[in-house]
Amino acid sequence: MKHDCTPLFRLVRLFALAAALSLAVAHADEYSDVSQMLRVGKLAEAQARVDRYLAAKPRDPQMRFMKGVIQRDTGRLADAIITFTRLTEDYPELPEPYNNLAVIHASLGQNEKARAALEMAIRTNPSYATAHENLGDVYAKLASQAYNKALQMDSTNAAAQPKLVLIRELFNPAVAGQRAAPAPSPTVQAAVTPPAKPPAPMPPAPAAAKPTVTATAQPAPASSATPAAAPKATATLQAAPADGPAREVEAAVRAWAKAWADKNMGGYLGAYGQDFAPPGQLSRSAWEQERRLRITGKSRISVNLLNLSVTINGNRAVAKFRQDYKADSLAVLSRKTLELVKTGNRWMIVKETSGT
Amino acid sequence: MKKRFLALLFVAATGLLMAPVSANTGNSEQNADALPAARLLAADGAAEARLIEIYRLTGAGRTREALAKAAHLVRDYPNFQLAQLVYGDLLAAHARPVRSFGDVPESLAPGATATLSELRFESQMRLKALRERPPAGAIPSQFLALSSRNKHAIAVDASRSRLYLFENTAQGLILVADYYISVGKSGIEKAAEGDLRTPLGVYFIVSNLDPKSLSDFYGTGALPINYPNVLDSKRGKTGRGIWLHGTPPNQFSRAPQATDGCVVLANPDLDRIIRTVEVRTTPVVISPRLEWVPPHSARAQSKRFEDALTAWRNAKSSGNIDHLLRFYTPDFNSFGKTLTEWVPDLRNEVDRVRGRPIQLKDLSYLRWTDAADTMVVTFGEVADGSLTGPTKRQYWVRQGSEWKIFFEGII
Repeated sequence: MKHDCTPLFRLVRLFALAAALSLAVAHADEYSDVSQMLRVGKLAEAQARVDRYLAAKPRDPQMRFMKGVIQRDTGRLADAIITFTRLTEDYPELPEPYNNLAVIHASLGQNEKARAALEMAIRTNPSYATAHENLGDVYAKLASQAYNKALQMDSTNAAAQPKLVLIRELFNPAVAGQRAAPAPSPTVQAAVTPPAKPPAPMPPAPAAAKPTVTATAQPAPASSATPAAAPKATATLQAAPADGPAREVEAAVRAWAKAWADKNMGGYLGAYGQDFAPPGQLSRSAWEQERRLRITGKSRISVNLLNLSVTINGNRAVAKFRQDYKADSLAVLSRKTLELVKTGNRWMIVKETSGT
Repeated sequence: MKKRFLALLFVAATGLLMAPVSANTGNSEQNADALPAARLLAADGAAEARLIEIYRLTGAGRTREALAKAAHLVRDYPNFQLAQLVYGDLLAAHARPVRSFGDVPESLAPGATATLSELRFESQMRLKALRERPPAGAIPSQFLALSSRNKHAIAVDASRSRLYLFENTAQGLILVADYYISVGKSGIEKAAEGDLRTPLGVYFIVSNLDPKSLSDFYGTGALPINYPNVLDSKRGKTGRGIWLHGTPPNQFSRAPQATDGCVVLANPDLDRIIRTVEVRTTPVVISPRLEWVPPHSARAQSKRFEDALTAWRNAKSSGNIDHLLRFYTPDFNSFGKTLTEWVPDLRNEVDRVRGRPIQLKDLSYLRWTDAADTMVVTFGEVADGSLTGPTKRQYWVRQGSEWKIFFEGII
């Protein structure tokens, strides 16, 4: 599975995930019940509740996380490692599973693995990674000043004042999603925040380590579940010169997902081009009718796109992503591929397939 | 074990803050000027105690607390170089693995290797002295007998870079404080002027110098000792100006071997000593390595000497000059006078006594054993019926199984 590391996609995915977590209103009671049970130490009950829930919704990240916590608290460390590791694979943007993997590794004396996991936790948010590196640089500078005083060296010898890395945009899904998007200029692109490079080997930063396990949801925006329109100012780090078309395709895909979640049938069906081949030999009108029933029949829908990647070939595009679909009591996580064709000035879906 | 000596250290450190300060009756006028407030705040031994606590926390993996304490320590003692080094290591550990004590990057290292090894040496010596504590109640083997006039005593152990301060109580000699010290660049066993060595032997503090009269290189004060003593002079040793003194303003403490022969302490520690000890009556034993013994076992071994001393006293009381003279060595010397030249003085004294028994008041004797086995004796020679008498010092040497006097004089 390809993890796309650009801020844009990470942002979208994180936002989507956070939204999904926050929007599980119907299931909020379940989560808080399990949290409460954990807090008062009723591990067996919590376990039962979690297992029952996951039997119906095996992919729910929050419950899976709690399962990992329970496994760890009941001493089933190997199982906990598997649970958290799988979460990091499915949701690599979440710091909490990495943190908890580190906690377990450290308790087993596997300090190098703990360090690696905590570094991954920090890297889930590029702002944290930048701050963490900057902190390391500042410590190094302070150390050299202290060493100078220890050796009573004249300080012209000292390490140069470190140039810390500036963060140029907020990594916050809610803020980024609502921000007005000025058109990108070449200079803005050049000034993009460098990717969070892996920090030099260092002991686990105390600030980032969270030894206590939190079973609460990731801080999520209270706004709607749907991903906002792609902020155009977010410069991507892809060297591909043709940013424009890729952005358009992304925008089209997101608009389609938003229409779906909003149950905006006009917008949803309108995203599919005339050449769209409905699955299973259905005629276009039959397919539309089925979609209409399926979509309007739900009281609540959330559609989150993760790891969205777009490749362009002339006026054809392929968009691949993981689709986290929740509707009422249904939750489906699937790989989706959309083929789009540019018709006029719009990208229209001509093929939609789900992979495993 | 570590916890115990640390506990001892902390008790000692806090005990120092509580202990009543003995009146320095010697040259109290010189000390009457109030110490600047900043100096009063720096309790003796406190900086080291805090440093050791940082070591302990670091060793226990509690590096966050260690770092916080180190930050405070260098704030309070910015010129405590060893503390800065430890602080640097704790900071550096946040940015990279720290592989050795004082893990200074190469960019700083070139001119600093000597200083770095001195700081590591200082650290080792401090830890050594704190690990190798004297047994409870034991005293250095040199202190055979002290009088009530010797309210305090000092012993220096060069092998541990340590100075031990004792109070002489009714229950005997009690260790009240000990401090890290520096000795000569070339080590110990001073023999000649300019040899950069600290002398070894039994000495006494002879004065208390006004710090205002001194360069600030010497820190907050100086206590000269009587090197060369009689034994040193007899052996033809030269040089002078051996003091206990402090450190310059830009250095809290110095390397274990750093001085021109003086014994150097951090200023707060020196201040405590200056406030405490009396000039002339405070012995300072400087040894390559102190041997700690139970108080009474030392005394038991000096029986033969005590017998000799008693016999000498009786001989003097008896007025029999020839008998008396047998206690003196042929190479006897008293302030330049040979035995023959000194005998008339002896006769005068004997005549003044006129057969009255002589008491040795405020008797003290310290044993110094190196190539020779010697005794440094001090007493007030008071004849019965007199209220006072001269204060005398004698140096005895053991020849075979007999003790003989090679110096005697009024001090």
